[in-house]
Amino acid sequence: MERLLVLPTSRAGWGLLIAFVVLVLAGTWPVIGWVNRATLVMGLPLLVVWSYLVIFACVVVMLIGNRIVERDDHE
Amino acid sequence: MNSPWPLLITLTYVAIAMVIGLRARAGRSMNSLEEWGVAGRSMGPVTLYLLIAAGSVSAYTFMGAPGWAYSKGVAVFYVAIYLSYLALVAWYFGPKVWQFGEQFGHVTQASAISDRYQSPALGALAALVMAIGSIAYAVLQTIGSAYILFVMSGGLIPIWLGVVLVLACIAVYLYASGQRAIGRTNAFQGVLMLIVAWAVGLWAVHSATGGLSFVGVFERIQAEHSEFLTLPGAGGDMSFSFWTTSIIVSMFSFMPPVWTQWMSASSARTIRRSATWLPTYYVVILPMVVVGFIGIFSLPELARADTVVLEYAMQHLPVVLVGLLGAGTLAASMSSSEPFIHSVSLSLSKDVLQPVLKLSDGVTGKLARLLILPIMFFVVAPLAIAEPGSLVMILLVGLGFASQVLPAFIGMFFWPRASRLGVMAGIVAGFLITVAFTTLWPHPMGIHAGFWGLMLNLPVFVAVSLITPATHAEVVERFFRIAAPRGFTQRGRRAAV
Repeated sequence: MERLLVLPTSRAGWGLLIAFVVLVLAGTWPVIGWVNRATLVMGLPLLVVWSYLVIFACVVVMLIGNRIVERDDHE
Repeated sequence: MNSPWPLLITLTYVAIAMVIGLRARAGRSMNSLEEWGVAGRSMGPVTLYLLIAAGSVSAYTFMGAPGWAYSKGVAVFYVAIYLSYLALVAWYFGPKVWQFGEQFGHVTQASAISDRYQSPALGALAALVMAIGSIAYAVLQTIGSAYILFVMSGGLIPIWLGVVLVLACIAVYLYASGQRAIGRTNAFQGVLMLIVAWAVGLWAVHSATGGLSFVGVFERIQAEHSEFLTLPGAGGDMSFSFWTTSIIVSMFSFMPPVWTQWMSASSARTIRRSATWLPTYYVVILPMVVVGFIGIFSLPELARADTVVLEYAMQHLPVVLVGLLGAGTLAASMSSSEPFIHSVSLSLSKDVLQPVLKLSDGVTGKLARLLILPIMFFVVAPLAIAEPGSLVMILLVGLGFASQVLPAFIGMFFWPRASRLGVMAGIVAGFLITVAFTTLWPHPMGIHAGFWGLMLNLPVFVAVSLITPATHAEVVERFFRIAAPRGFTQRGRRAAV
């Protein structure tokens, strides 16, 4: 047991882990640098729009995660 | 401000919060840690959603965040992003923490640490140091509450009296109903904040532009002050590295009240459902921040940036909305301070005093309730009235420490080999770096001090763990049956627990 590490054990689990990492990358550098422009989108600053896209993407990923967890029937 | 309405509306909110808090008990005995501490693990998804949401939206949202927008610009949105990442953290870890609590009887974060590493000393250390950051946070929120009462009363309620009044109100319902009071009052406060934030925000936009769209506000900012629309912001101090490391450090700061909230859920599934929708609540930040942007051209000479919404409201909004703003801001600060006071009392009783004084669970339950009174009136109140200049520093160091406890959680959820001494060594190394890089050489190279702490903490934790004895195998297996219900991955293979 001494060298073991908890990692996903299914393809769906790996998919979720990758989605979580992508979400965190989307809200931090360097990605945040790519949307760091003084332009407006739908009347809001691009960085604000991007922030809320990331925020609502978190909801979508967790909704998908719920389906996977409940389909596999384990907590 | 001469109208009595703002103060009346604010005091009406306080009265309603008290009634809700007192009724939350519903005839139950509150002398057990299970009941007073974690509401008998009974909270449903909606209450839990509003409990966590309102707890995380502090007076900062109504004062500090608009102030940041006023002085720095869009840099303030790092807060909304890290709050959403905290929902991801709650989604993954919350159900496992709930199962630890339900199966092993934990009611505090430090109990779980003590159990995992079979070290009451490590649990007590975690409880004591987490208490520093928690109390500093509660003091800051209490100062915010007293300031609101001072402004809403036109100066009639001095800061010291506001501090005593707010703490007395919280003390009454917290003593009576414990975590159930926090759940119910936060649910009320959460709804109130959402309504008030959007009502004030839209009214302010209407008074500034004649319409209800934010477009006019940002077009003017773009034309006249475009530096507010990008990083590093108007102050030039929010670099990409500080934005990124602040988010990461905040994301990994597992504060004790959050654990208590997770353990108060009725099931693991309830936490997952609540966490899923939690980011939607953070639309509450947008309208308040827009008022901060309006202040850039409406109130250019403001002395204190964090008063921008209050100043704008008092100059341009009807008195009823000013009163609602007072109530909403007070709700934000109270809903954030009470979970911290509760968790400090709970953890000091359970994880420090019970093992030291060899108390029974029954006596510890009663002690936890009583302990809120000295914590509030001998620690929080004097600090809030004195408003020490170093308080923000204490808070930063405290929160920096919170992230340094990360190895304890890595050993609880991911790495069975983590040892008690490895965790202790990592925490001490990380804490010293965080203190040094907060006080002596603040945030070198624009990177958050807590992040520097983690960069030393984690290698020390791994190295010391590998050369010191691991926790007993049966304890580790007990935890990892929950943390890794499907076994482990080892070099591409799966192994059973």
